[in-house]
Amino acid sequence: MNQPNSHQAVVHVVDDEAPFRRSLLFLLETAGWQAIGHESAEAFLAAPPAFPDAGACLVLDIRMPRISGLELQRRLNAAGSPFPIVFMTGHGDVELAVQAMKAGAVDFLQKPFKDQLFLDTVERTVALSQTRHEAETRRQQARESLARLSPREAEVARWLALGLSNKEIARELAISDNTVHIHRQHVMEKTGIASAAELARLILRADPAGLD
Amino acid sequence: MRLAAFLLLWLPLAVAAADIRIGVLAWQGEESAAAEWQPLLASLQGSLPGHRLQPSYLDLGGMENAVAAGRVDFVVTNPGNYVALEALYGVTRIATQIIEAGQDSAHTVGSAVIVRDDRHALKRLEDLKGQRLAAVSPDAFGGYQVVWAELKRHGVDPEDGDITPVFTGFPMTRVIEALENGSADAGAIRSCLLERLEREGRVPAGRYRVLSPQGAERPCKSSSPVYPGWAFAAAPKTSPGLAREVLIALLGLPAERTGQTWGVPADYHPVHGMLRELQITPYDFLREHRLEAQIRRYWPLAAALAMLLACWLAYTLRVEVLVQRRTRELSAALAARDQLAESIQAHRQQMEHLSRLSILGELSGTLAHELNQPLATISNYALGLARRLDNGTLSSAATAQAAAEIASESERAAGILAGIRAFARKRTRIRETVDLPTLIDGAVRLFRGMIHDAPQVDVIDRLPADRRAVEVDPLQIQQVLLNLLKNGLDAQRSARRSGHPMTITVEIAADDGARISVRDHGTGMSGEEQSRLFEPFFTTKADGMGLGLSISRSIAEAHGGTLDALAPDAGPGLVLRLQIPLAATAPETDEPAQ
Repeated sequence: MNQPNSHQAVVHVVDDEAPFRRSLLFLLETAGWQAIGHESAEAFLAAPPAFPDAGACLVLDIRMPRISGLELQRRLNAAGSPFPIVFMTGHGDVELAVQAMKAGAVDFLQKPFKDQLFLDTVERTVALSQTRHEAETRRQQARESLARLSPREAEVARWLALGLSNKEIARELAISDNTVHIHRQHVMEKTGIASAAELARLILRADPAGLD
Repeated sequence: MRLAAFLLLWLPLAVAAADIRIGVLAWQGEESAAAEWQPLLASLQGSLPGHRLQPSYLDLGGMENAVAAGRVDFVVTNPGNYVALEALYGVTRIATQIIEAGQDSAHTVGSAVIVRDDRHALKRLEDLKGQRLAAVSPDAFGGYQVVWAELKRHGVDPEDGDITPVFTGFPMTRVIEALENGSADAGAIRSCLLERLEREGRVPAGRYRVLSPQGAERPCKSSSPVYPGWAFAAAPKTSPGLAREVLIALLGLPAERTGQTWGVPADYHPVHGMLRELQITPYDFLREHRLEAQIRRYWPLAAALAMLLACWLAYTLRVEVLVQRRTRELSAALAARDQLAESIQAHRQQMEHLSRLSILGELSGTLAHELNQPLATISNYALGLARRLDNGTLSSAATAQAAAEIASESERAAGILAGIRAFARKRTRIRETVDLPTLIDGAVRLFRGMIHDAPQVDVIDRLPADRRAVEVDPLQIQQVLLNLLKNGLDAQRSARRSGHPMTITVEIAADDGARISVRDHGTGMSGEEQSRLFEPFFTTKADGMGLGLSISRSIAEAHGGTLDALAPDAGPGLVLRLQIPLAATAPETDEPAQ
């Protein structure tokens, strides 16, 4: 009930140990999550699930035959997968856990773990994935907006975002004030924003280094 | 020229040789001899005017030396000494003395053994056993040696102590005195002496009696054969001319002037015979022959025999001592062996137990994980059920699913616990008939469950369908298999091939047993390492105890099987081969054969 997006978010569990995997799914479903089990890394890779807007979480057993959890993480990273990963480790696998964290895992849970800790971690990770997903979506939209500008309009937009007046931009680009004004009109129309400050935010959203 | 000079040099010596050196045996002393022989020598000197007689009176030893050195030209000596000199130095008799008138030269010296006539018990020489016999001297020919020989012929040997000799010394009348004063029972005198003394009235006639008289036809009674008298003999170097000259002079001597006559040389063979019988000079070599010569001749053999005997004795003693010692050692060794066997058995059980515990220790982390899985599963379901109950979202399907999972996971956990407990517990010997591939699969599952990055283990089952059962202690065999897998994995880790699959091949061996080959792709082993692989406490691992394989082998042997290591046909690594007999009957779970 405290999960407004629970009906849309999906939790994927990859563990070769079937009874344990099923018990995790049971627990997740109890908490209202949509949970999907995968019996091996191969199975997950064979049918990669889509990332839902409401967020998702990938719970990985670090120790599995053939393709281990770490290997799966490496492959997903290489493919630019958006799924945030929580690892489950057995006893004495600190080294592997460190490796996993360095490779971008959100967290790791040492078996056996408390159900509440597990559910909290899953919730936190799903929320994080949502945030990341939204940020990504916004960045994508910003890029799309900026992509509509012509190269000269993009140049004018950059100077505007840096706070230069029309006259200063005309001098900088060695064009007439009037021309700058027309470009500015186009930029505002194409991106749908009204102020230079908003323009600056849009550019930074599309590229954090865009104003350097 | 030189020869002439040489002859001239010798001329004075040849002239000096005109002296005639005569050695006379003086056994009663020089003076008495000089007195006795003076008349003869004086007469002889008279008959040999061209020569100068030089008499020397010598005892037996001096006589022999003089003859040996060539210091005399002639010798005058008793028959015994003559025979010795003849035999030893080749002196040649030229005349023989005749003492009494009517004697011939070959029968001059005989001996009479006399006893007092009142000794009625003494009649023959044989009767003298145990009696005392008086005689002048052991060297006297007629006075003792002749009697000695005759006594021996009668079975009475003075050398064997049959009689006790009493030597009186000269003159011979002392023998008679000894009989008179009772210091002897019998006396040996020259024959004719008694008759002469009786004739002269110095001894009462009939007072003495001669034992075993012989030669009745002769003038005097004698107890012995009669031998030739003293001999006048020429030394070997004496020229025959001189000898003839002296002989002629000697034979021509008038008896009345010298109190004796000389006859033709007698045959001294009887003397030889007698001396040979007595084995005295010159036949003392016979005595030697009999004793010393035998010894001299046979001493190496005797010594060898003695040595052999000593060796045999020593050997026998040694063997006896050794046998006793070995027996003691053996019984001690047997007792020690029994004790050792007991302690080995105890140690073996202890070590098996330790090995199981050490395997458990090594694997405890992974065992905990193994147990954690079902427990965590159970916990998840239980908590999930509780939450759903709170939420009001609990469906009967979910309850049924959770309950079933909880039940099966509880069983799994219990099974794992039971397995660990059974594995850790000290066990008494049990035998169950089990399906071998199932047993192997169980061991592989245990191995892969215990080791988190365990490699793939492929089991290749080549057992025929009707020969799959073994009668074993399943846990012990699984322990062996676990140990082999664990060792293989360690070897693969050392070789940095820890992910390489391992292979277990199970098939029928040449001896009709089951052969389980565990093949790894590890570092493998040198021949030397392979030969020591199963020794207790031999290990190539930094932290190993070296007990696993030695215990595994003893487990295999306790099952009537073997465990050995060999190099694989191809590729790196090692094959450890466990062979155990197949069970006579199929496992009880199988369908009985129709």
